[in-house]
Amino acid sequence: MPERSTSSEPLKVALIGCGQIADAHLQQIARIRSARVIAVCDLHADLAEQAAARFGIAARYNDPAEMLARERPDVVQIATPAHTHHAVARLCLAADCHVYVEKPFTLTAPEAESLLDLAAERGRLACVGHDQLFDPAWLEVRDRIARGELGEVRHVESTLGYPLSGQFGALVASDPRHWVRRLPGGLFHNTISHPLYRITEFLKDDRPQIDARWRTRPGFNFPTELRVDLQGASVSGTLTFATTIASQRITRIYGTTGTLECELDGQIVRRIGPAPAPGAFAKLLTPWRQRREAARTFRRQLGRFARGKIHYFAGLKSLCERFYDAIRTGAAPPIPPAEIVRVTRIMDEIFETARQRDASTNWGGAERRGSEWKAIARDSRPAAAMRESLT
Amino acid sequence: MMMLVTGGAGFLGRRVVRELVREGCRVRCFLRPSTRIDDLRECVGTRDWHAVETFRGDLQDPDDCRRAVAGADIVFHVAAGLSGGAAVLFANTVMPTRQLVAACETEGVKRFVHVSSLGVYGAGSLRRHALLDESCPVDPHPHLRDPYTYSKIVQEQVCREAFERGRLPLVVIRPGVIYGPGRGLLSNRIGLTLGGTLVRFGSRRPLPYVYVDHCATAIRQAGLTPGIEGETFNVLDDHLPTAREVLAACRRAGRPVRSLWLPESAIGPLSSLYERYSRWSEGQLPAVLTRYRSDAMWKPLKFSNARARERLRWAPHLSFEETAQLSLA
Repeated sequence: MPERSTSSEPLKVALIGCGQIADAHLQQIARIRSARVIAVCDLHADLAEQAAARFGIAARYNDPAEMLARERPDVVQIATPAHTHHAVARLCLAADCHVYVEKPFTLTAPEAESLLDLAAERGRLACVGHDQLFDPAWLEVRDRIARGELGEVRHVESTLGYPLSGQFGALVASDPRHWVRRLPGGLFHNTISHPLYRITEFLKDDRPQIDARWRTRPGFNFPTELRVDLQGASVSGTLTFATTIASQRITRIYGTTGTLECELDGQIVRRIGPAPAPGAFAKLLTPWRQRREAARTFRRQLGRFARGKIHYFAGLKSLCERFYDAIRTGAAPPIPPAEIVRVTRIMDEIFETARQRDASTNWGGAERRGSEWKAIARDSRPAAAMRESLT
Repeated sequence: MMMLVTGGAGFLGRRVVRELVREGCRVRCFLRPSTRIDDLRECVGTRDWHAVETFRGDLQDPDDCRRAVAGADIVFHVAAGLSGGAAVLFANTVMPTRQLVAACETEGVKRFVHVSSLGVYGAGSLRRHALLDESCPVDPHPHLRDPYTYSKIVQEQVCREAFERGRLPLVVIRPGVIYGPGRGLLSNRIGLTLGGTLVRFGSRRPLPYVYVDHCATAIRQAGLTPGIEGETFNVLDDHLPTAREVLAACRRAGRPVRSLWLPESAIGPLSSLYERYSRWSEGQLPAVLTRYRSDAMWKPLKFSNARARERLRWAPHLSFEETAQLSLA
């Protein structure tokens, strides 16, 4: 039986779930010297086979339990459908593996708590795929705010443009039986982690006030638009999920002395708002300041391009690196367990609030009460749950 | 006879349905729940629509497949994913084919016509200007090809394995690039479109094209011609246009294409260079262009449709001038 890696060897990483997002994991982990992927697993042999063949991975499995027993990985990256995360991660933790779980971590906060309890019990770490917090553009946001550029952060606007004509969106929209459609928060459950944690990064309240409302576009039979207002003690946030706008990931962070806008797709962070100049001079100084900032950003991006440093999933690599370092050194994990639970709980409340406001909907996901969803999640077993479509 | 056509509402599928209906067959179209049938209905025509029935379901669902196949004499498997990454294409192409093939094995259909692709050949290993026909081997390293071709190669393997088990009376159609009204004449066989400009690699090699109606009639013949189980047919037009002819046709139709010409001899070195850069930059620019892929895609070759003409008793009935005009109208 293979041994787990020693401290001088690269960590042995296995991937469960070879669907659409698996490529990002395999590409980014290949860039990390302290880790190597030793096996992939998917209930669908074709999906495991294509991932293994394209990334030159020797071992491929269709049964997670068999893979864990034979390969004894140090870390398992879990990229299966959201409703299977809890069961698959439990299996991995029980096999004494550290787990990196794609977003959303679990379907409910109690599930998240139970997973993290199990991880603590087994002396293992768990990480959630909040990778955009480690994207170079977001790290710049953090840095500039830490240097006091905005004063105190007071409000965050986070927007996700998610056209349903996109690859995954079209699939979800066309198939009423798609697993995403059956999540408690439907389409939003699988996607709003990203715009939400870009707000909760600054809104630290454990239980902020939440007002959420979803809406169904004409021509669709499930909620497609979501608007959430969050109010903490000193910071507020608004989350907009829209299928009617172009694909985009934009966050605006408003502080007491300035505002920053972060556009993740363009990897651009820019200061917006008027320049501190009197009257008409502000109208000149503001575009001048923005032009200089754009020129600086262009020079920096050009340098990064020349060094081959621009990657769409750079945040995923950075997060995995930090997670693996924490495993090796015993340092604190990059995303604290309490934060994982907090974000999951806020998501629960968002969906519950939106569901209550839309009690008359005929949408299957909304029709189920929270307790029913918990029962479904509890009953799911890794193999049975993963048998669902993985795309 | 009852025919089952998967992907029956698509660009090619609806024309296959029309051809079969014109032959007096009843046709069941296996469609996704959300697929619109307006184009299919228009293509078949109101007069013949009574011969068409629709079956809504999911090709990945074994029960749906069994119910769709039940009572069908001949199955025409036209459905396939066209875009997306490898995982998406495998999920939309390979996995549904497994379910469909399993249902056909259980139900015992009389013929299974699989619509594959001319891209499945290991064309990269052929000499320049060699003849690519049905005797050429399938690419031995499919994972090195683009995701679409990879999925089509594995999809065909799935069918062929069932045939070799003796449980699927298989006929394979390998069409070239299918063009026609609504799809135009341009394809990546000519070159790559970068920022609105078509970068074309050479101009004089024949492009393996087939007009959509010609392809549909060949597929019909593959279902109806007796005694061809286990055979494979390349389906191509008689006159294969060059890039120069395609662009001239676009110009004549009032749709000029902005293009940049690169000599054919530059394709290989440029692909190698790009591939090395992609590797060095750890995928900053994804490895969509590699030497292996460019050899398979753009190497100048000769093509033949002789076997299809002879065995299927089929022939393209329109000239390139006519099909180009119809495609660009």
